[in-house]
Amino acid sequence: MRGMSAKNRSRLLSIVGLVAGLAIWELIGRLELSPAFPPVTAVLAAIGEVWTSPRFLDAFRESMISIAIALPPSIVFGIGIGLLLGRYRPVEWALDPLVNTFLSLPLVALIPVLFLIFGLGRGSILATIVIYTFFIVVVNTAAGVRTTDPLIVEMATSFGAGERQVLRRVVLPSALPLMFAGVRIATGRAIRAVIIAEQVIGLIGLGGLVQRLGGAFAVEQLYAVILFIGFFGLVSMEAVSTVERRALPWVAAPEDIEPAFQGA
Amino acid sequence: MIEIEGIGRRFNTRDGGSFEALKDVSFSVNDKEFFSIIGPSGCGKTTLLKMVAGLVKPTAGRIDIDGRTVIGPGDDRAMVFQQFVLLPWADILTNVGFGLELRGMSRKESRDAARPHLEQVGLTRFSEHYPHELSGGMQQRVGLARALAVGPDILLMDEPFGALDAQTRQLMQEDLMRLWEVEQKTVIFVTHSMDEAAYLSDRVLVMDTHPGRVREILDVPLPRPREEGVRRSPVFNELTSHMWRELRGMMGDPTAPAPE
Repeated sequence: MRGMSAKNRSRLLSIVGLVAGLAIWELIGRLELSPAFPPVTAVLAAIGEVWTSPRFLDAFRESMISIAIALPPSIVFGIGIGLLLGRYRPVEWALDPLVNTFLSLPLVALIPVLFLIFGLGRGSILATIVIYTFFIVVVNTAAGVRTTDPLIVEMATSFGAGERQVLRRVVLPSALPLMFAGVRIATGRAIRAVIIAEQVIGLIGLGGLVQRLGGAFAVEQLYAVILFIGFFGLVSMEAVSTVERRALPWVAAPEDIEPAFQGA
Repeated sequence: MIEIEGIGRRFNTRDGGSFEALKDVSFSVNDKEFFSIIGPSGCGKTTLLKMVAGLVKPTAGRIDIDGRTVIGPGDDRAMVFQQFVLLPWADILTNVGFGLELRGMSRKESRDAARPHLEQVGLTRFSEHYPHELSGGMQQRVGLARALAVGPDILLMDEPFGALDAQTRQLMQEDLMRLWEVEQKTVIFVTHSMDEAAYLSDRVLVMDTHPGRVREILDVPLPRPREEGVRRSPVFNELTSHMWRELRGMMGDPTAPAPE
């Protein structure tokens, strides 16, 4: 490994780790220790069949529709509230306890309550996505606002900027890197949320499919769906990172910005 | 003309008392004059400059510019900051046009209007770079261009070269002199470099500390345009050693001759 760049070396090690993991999985599967561990080759064989089946594609579409309805408004309002919370002390005093409560709660425990309120339908799924994403966007945006350099605010004021201009031209761009980090985390959480909520209903979406496959002991197919969910989450977050790099040309490595809060 | 009349500033301290940062400061600055303020750390010179900028309100006295009392920032003034204070998310041209944008121009108009000012400071080819790609000296040129772009009558400069290395600093002083001789603006220049004050200024205000107040105002009888060589003239040396004697006395150096 000597003579390799650090980047290539880290890539090589990732591949080694992955291959080793798959090999152990295959071994356990071949030993037939438990029906919960089919050999990885059997799962890979199931992927080709499952990922193209109409049942899977319908479920995927259902889940995507829920995310497409719930995530954008959650992000937009989250950013709005986060800006106010980060900038104005009275708003902070009023909302901080509420936001922190939601961030520290195990949200799974709230899902039954949401089903009581919204019924066994899409409404509850949307609400679950919102509580999983909204507060994360709020805290990260607020933390971003607090990174605003007071010297830049003073400079803008010296050139005659009023509060609205300061907010739009100084505070908002200052908050962007952490705001994006929040959106990136929220995207991953939205996928988790939709699966969890759909599992409770058990009929629709990828979560419903997972529930039904599990119930039918179709373990290979179940793994194929789980792998897809993991893979899809990675791709979605990578897509946000790509937008992030384009939108933040002054930040060297936006994907390395640690979010202020990742959530429980 | 800028008239500073009986300015005072008190700050409340944590223990409920108050602290007098500036006391009864009065002087005036003529149109197109290069006026420097020098004094030990904590003498309130930056606070005083921010008052002229309209960023800090005096607790006593007032500041009039051409007969009108300063109540806030205005189109007639522009400030240059010690830490440059550029927008890290905007390229150089947008940074230079930022003041104009705040005054109502669109992004495109302000960038177009900023171009000649970027050229004035010799950075045209960096117009699409980001601040972090520029050296400190270049960043401060951007800060200067941004101030010039709004077309102010008065430039307020707060230790603008204080964060630069000695060589860059000297180059910047010479460039500023050339620019000022063309632009003919009133400049108030806060510094704690005696050489800088003597080289650039028509007059130098020496401030005393605790509380900050006027100690004396020195004329700088050096010919203009100022060449680099004036730094070695006897007049220059006499001036800087006079300033040093004054400042040293204020800093509590027991070996300094007692002020008469």
